[in-house]
Amino acid sequence: MPVQDRTVEFKACVDSIRNRSPAPSRLQAEAKQRLLQNGEREVRKSDFSRMAGAIGRDISSTTIKLGKLAQLAKRKTLFDDRPVEISELSSIIKQDIAKINHQIAALKAHLGGAQQQSKGTSAEKQINEHNNNVLMLLQTKLADTSVGFKDVLELRTQNLKESKERTDQFISSTAAAVRQTPQNSLLFGGQGKRDPMGDGSARDVKGKGRALPDNDMLALDLDAAEGGFGGQSQQMQLVEQQDTYIQSRATAIESIESTIAELGQIFSQLATMVAEQRETVQRIDADTIDIAENVSGAQRELLKYYASISSNRWLMLKVFGVLIVFFLVFILVS
Amino acid sequence: MKVIALYVLRLPEDKETKDDSKVEILCEADDADNEVGYIKRSAFRDFMKFSTRTIALRTDEGGMQMVEDAGYKMHVLRPVDGKRIVGAAVTDPEYPDRVAQGLLSKLTKDFLEEVPEENFGNRAKITFPAIHSMLRKYQDPKEADPIMKVQKDLDETKIILHKTIESVLDRGEKLDNLVDRSNALSSQTKMFYKTAKKQNSCCVVM
Repeated sequence: MPVQDRTVEFKACVDSIRNRSPAPSRLQAEAKQRLLQNGEREVRKSDFSRMAGAIGRDISSTTIKLGKLAQLAKRKTLFDDRPVEISELSSIIKQDIAKINHQIAALKAHLGGAQQQSKGTSAEKQINEHNNNVLMLLQTKLADTSVGFKDVLELRTQNLKESKERTDQFISSTAAAVRQTPQNSLLFGGQGKRDPMGDGSARDVKGKGRALPDNDMLALDLDAAEGGFGGQSQQMQLVEQQDTYIQSRATAIESIESTIAELGQIFSQLATMVAEQRETVQRIDADTIDIAENVSGAQRELLKYYASISSNRWLMLKVFGVLIVFFLVFILVS
Repeated sequence: MKVIALYVLRLPEDKETKDDSKVEILCEADDADNEVGYIKRSAFRDFMKFSTRTIALRTDEGGMQMVEDAGYKMHVLRPVDGKRIVGAAVTDPEYPDRVAQGLLSKLTKDFLEEVPEENFGNRAKITFPAIHSMLRKYQDPKEADPIMKVQKDLDETKIILHKTIESVLDRGEKLDNLVDRSNALSSQTKMFYKTAKKQNSCCVVM
């Protein structure tokens, strides 16, 4: 939940109310003078408080956007990833952070100028100290936001890497190894860069300005990370082109392999059918042998019969003689 | 499905230029005469040369690109260690991409082997007649690409095998027929034999 920093506005309100309260009459001249001085300083302070308030509002809105980006980046789904939104949102956040950076730098410059004009009274010293504290508060808030942004970006690249590995499992490709090395070199190399923006003014304030170069370094790291990311997607595109060619060859060869397997199946089916028919052929064979045997047996019997008939001629003559006698008898009678 | 033209290009020394007229054409073979009519021929050739040069300028080493435009596909391949040589092919849209890329890699490889590097600057000295034979051979991708040839043979074999299985089924039917018939014949001859036997043994005369 983003914390809204309204302390500066509160302080400004408190100051204005205090200045409105009535001063004792004998010190009225002094009070007027003091009021005038306060007014001047108030002008400066209200300037300061206005700018600080604006910066605080910007930081809070950036934190809200960062929360949204973290939400989007946490999604680990393979297909519903919304890279356009994520990249848009991250670029918007980066711009906001840069703008806030500039505003803080301007505020610091303004503050530095105001401090040089100060006369060194204790009240003003306190005011200056208060202003510096406010400035440092804003800077730490910005640093926190930038750190959160960097974490979200790292999370996002981690998720992208995982989703790429998962797609590789489905479409296994030899180019996966090539793809991973750019990630290692560009993204992690970018974090090693420590090139502050050449911010000479940061060294003036005694130790309270440390936050500012950190912000710059962090902003630069984000730039390097984003740039490395873009280059990495370019390299992935080139590898994917060759990937397409290799993939098409792989699919063609796979179809050939499946055709050959089909052919093998057809051959074995053929062999099975022919084996089944072998049994039928054997039955036919047996039947044909039986037929031949039967026919030859029958022929033998007929031959025997013929032989017996032709050798039995006497019996036949006798039989025929009896028949002729009967025949003659019948004719003679009729 | 055909290949319209094949080019071997040489990229200029200056890597950042985008001017395509600096890309030299070392070797070309085209079939534009059969593709477009007489009037359009030169404009068509210019179109092909311009587009292949432009794509070649934007190709990295080891990269292959394909652009489809105006009803033709331009394939470009820049081999690794190619000494700035790029192979380009213009085909019609149905030509399979994989075969075109294979053709280009073969073209560039043969070119780099046959033509020595010092001739690259001098166009007149370059003799590479293989480019024409390659253009003719690859008109039919099914014959030229070995993978497609194997696939075609396998498909034919599969058809033949289907026919074989059908004829085997017919054979089975006929064999069943034969079995029944031989069964019937066998029983008939058995009856014949019995009758003939009975003739012999039983009553002597009748």
